[in-house]
Amino acid sequence: MLEGLFGNSTVEKVFFALYAYGEGYPLGMAKLFGVPVNSIQQQLKRLENSGIVSSRLLGKIRLYTFNPRYPFLKELTSLIEKAYEFLPEQEKNAYYRVRTRPRRAGKPR
Amino acid sequence: MKIDGKKITTEELAARVSTALQEHGIDALLVGGACVSIYTANQYISGDLDFVSFAAIKEIGLVLRDIGFVQKSSRHFEKRGCPFFIEFVAPPPAIGSEPVKKIRRLKTRAGIIMLLTPTDSVKDRLASYYHWNDRQALEQAIMVARVQRIHFNEVKRWSMKEGYEEKYHKFVVEIGKKGA
Repeated sequence: MLEGLFGNSTVEKVFFALYAYGEGYPLGMAKLFGVPVNSIQQQLKRLENSGIVSSRLLGKIRLYTFNPRYPFLKELTSLIEKAYEFLPEQEKNAYYRVRTRPRRAGKPR
Repeated sequence: MKIDGKKITTEELAARVSTALQEHGIDALLVGGACVSIYTANQYISGDLDFVSFAAIKEIGLVLRDIGFVQKSSRHFEKRGCPFFIEFVAPPPAIGSEPVKKIRRLKTRAGIIMLLTPTDSVKDRLASYYHWNDRQALEQAIMVARVQRIHFNEVKRWSMKEGYEEKYHKFVVEIGKKGA
C-alpha cells in the first residue's frame, strides 16, 4: 500500500508492526512476517540512521520504537494509521493483532 | 591541521571540526550534550559531539579524515587517542516537533562554533527527559538553566505543545531545589 512511497514492502511491514504493537525486535518481526531477519535488520538500521526509529538494548534484545524525537513523527504515524485502516481484516488478524497481554510462565499456550 | 586528541576540550574540538567543515562550505550545528558542556564550562562532560548537517555523510567523512577522524559506522567518527567521538545526527535540526529557528555563533580561539542557543539546549535536553524519562538529561537541562540566561516562557510554551506540562513543572521545581 505504501510500498511505492517507502521503496519496499519490508519497511511498510516494519512501520505497521511498530504502529500496532508500539515496539518490536528484528527476530520477532522476521518470525511474524516469515521473512529473513537480516532484511528486517537492514531496514531498521536504515530507519535508525535517519532518526525515524530509535532502539535500546533489553538484555540481549535490541528493541525498536518510533523515535519520539523525530520531527515528522505525528505526520508519519497519521499516514501509517490511515493506511492501516485499509489493510484487509485477514492481514490485520494474521500480523497485527497477535496477543501481547501477559501470560503467566508455565501456563499452557 | 593537527589535533592533539588527548588534551583537547569539547569546545576546542567542536570549533576545530566546525572550522574544517566551514572551510569546505559545510555548515554543521552542534546539538546535544556537547552544548551542555560548553554552556556549563564542563560541569558536565559529554563523551560525544553530535552535529546536524544537511551535507552528505560521504562529503563530511572526507573532511574529517583530514583532521584524523575515521568513520566507524554509518554516522559516527573516531580518532585514536581522542576521548570524544563525533556523530552526525540525521537532519533536519529539530527539537521535538519544531525546527531549530535560532542558532548561536560562538567565537572561540579555535574557530566559530554554530550551536543551539542556551534556551534550545535546555529544550533539547528536556526532550530526552520528556520522551525517554532520562534523568541525566533533566540534570543537564537544570545545569544549563542555572548558569545561562534562559527564556522560560519559551521553554514552557514548547513543553505545553509537546504535551509535557507535568514534567515541565518538575523541571522548574528541581531548579528551585538546587538553586543557588
